[in-house]
Amino acid sequence: MDSHKDGKKGLASIKSAIRDFVYGMAAHDMVTYSLRTRMHMENLFMLIVMGDMLGIPVLPPYYSLRLLPHVVPHVKTWKRTLLRDRDVTDRMFGG
Amino acid sequence: MFLKEIVESHKYLLFAGKGGLGKTTLSATTARYLASRGKKVIVFSTDPQASLTDVFERDLFGKGEVELAGNLYALEIDADRVVSEYQADVRKKILDMYGSVPEEIEDYIKSASAQPAMSESATFDSMIELIMAGRYDYYIFDMMPHGHAIRFLSMASLLDTWINKVVDIRKDSQEVDERVRRMSGKKTHGTEETGILGELQDIKNRLDFMAKIIGGGDTTALFYVVIPEQMAIMDTETAIAEFKKFGIELSGIIVNQVYPRELLSDPDVPEFLKSRIRMQQSNMEIIHRKFADKIVAEVRMMDREPKGFAMLEKTANMVYG
Repeated sequence: MDSHKDGKKGLASIKSAIRDFVYGMAAHDMVTYSLRTRMHMENLFMLIVMGDMLGIPVLPPYYSLRLLPHVVPHVKTWKRTLLRDRDVTDRMFGG
Repeated sequence: MFLKEIVESHKYLLFAGKGGLGKTTLSATTARYLASRGKKVIVFSTDPQASLTDVFERDLFGKGEVELAGNLYALEIDADRVVSEYQADVRKKILDMYGSVPEEIEDYIKSASAQPAMSESATFDSMIELIMAGRYDYYIFDMMPHGHAIRFLSMASLLDTWINKVVDIRKDSQEVDERVRRMSGKKTHGTEETGILGELQDIKNRLDFMAKIIGGGDTTALFYVVIPEQMAIMDTETAIAEFKKFGIELSGIIVNQVYPRELLSDPDVPEFLKSRIRMQQSNMEIIHRKFADKIVAEVRMMDREPKGFAMLEKTANMVYG
């Protein structure tokens, strides 16, 4: 009975390993790329609706406030990401 | 078409023009006239220096929709109060959702609310709210002076473009979330989607509704008030061109505060006043030359300030016969 169970377990772990392998080979890069795209979209969205927080006035604060409750948990991360981002000249001149 | 016909056949009536030319008086007069014909009417002031309180001789500021007489209502909003109530709503929503309001969020709420555009938006939103509730037969809007009025009325179409872009970004993000979930079984950690899209959709619906009303020639009439003076004439020319830029067509021009021409032949009238009447007469020619097809009414200068119900009745008789 136990050996049957062990066999099932072994098969499952082989299946999972194969799935991870295939995922790693075929999809991992795509997923990473998609997540990066998603992050940029999130930053763009936050910049458009909450730009005022960074001193970039983007119309209109009345409607930004309506969206504010939904983005509260992400404000810190977003500000950190955006202020950490460096452009080409920063890289060239070591800024 | 004459003013009376246009007024009776349009549900939303907007009176715009330079400050001090009689927009409020004409709005109140029109409201009085329509109410006397058994229609339920509200007159709303979008001007931060609203003077409906003075015209109706009753304190209306920040009092909500006040019934002045049978069928006749007036609304003069206190934009600052609307903004602070709105601020409190946002704060409460955050508290309900997360249990506290982080300091930087609190700072943002305060700084956003201090911007001048805020009270304009709050007034605009109150205007949408009032129309959407649909409780009246006629809505009369006493607009703020020209430049502000143009920006105010074009707000719906400009914001609509902005909202469409934001909605597109959210929808694209949703698609990426779905793709990631399908490929990896993982959930992304973006902002909460349904709530944001719901809010955006609601803002969009309101703006679409308002853009349709402002641009809807069948239901909305926009009047521009001018007096026979050079500066007012120049202002009207600019306004017509600017309103056109935003796709808003003027329904008619009302020439207000016109001195009776017959005073010129009255020997008892002082020369000072006669000279003013002559100036007005030559400006009237300019007005007719420039805006002939747009003039829907000429309203005489009253012998005293048109304030209070009795005077408004008199003005209504004069304007609407």
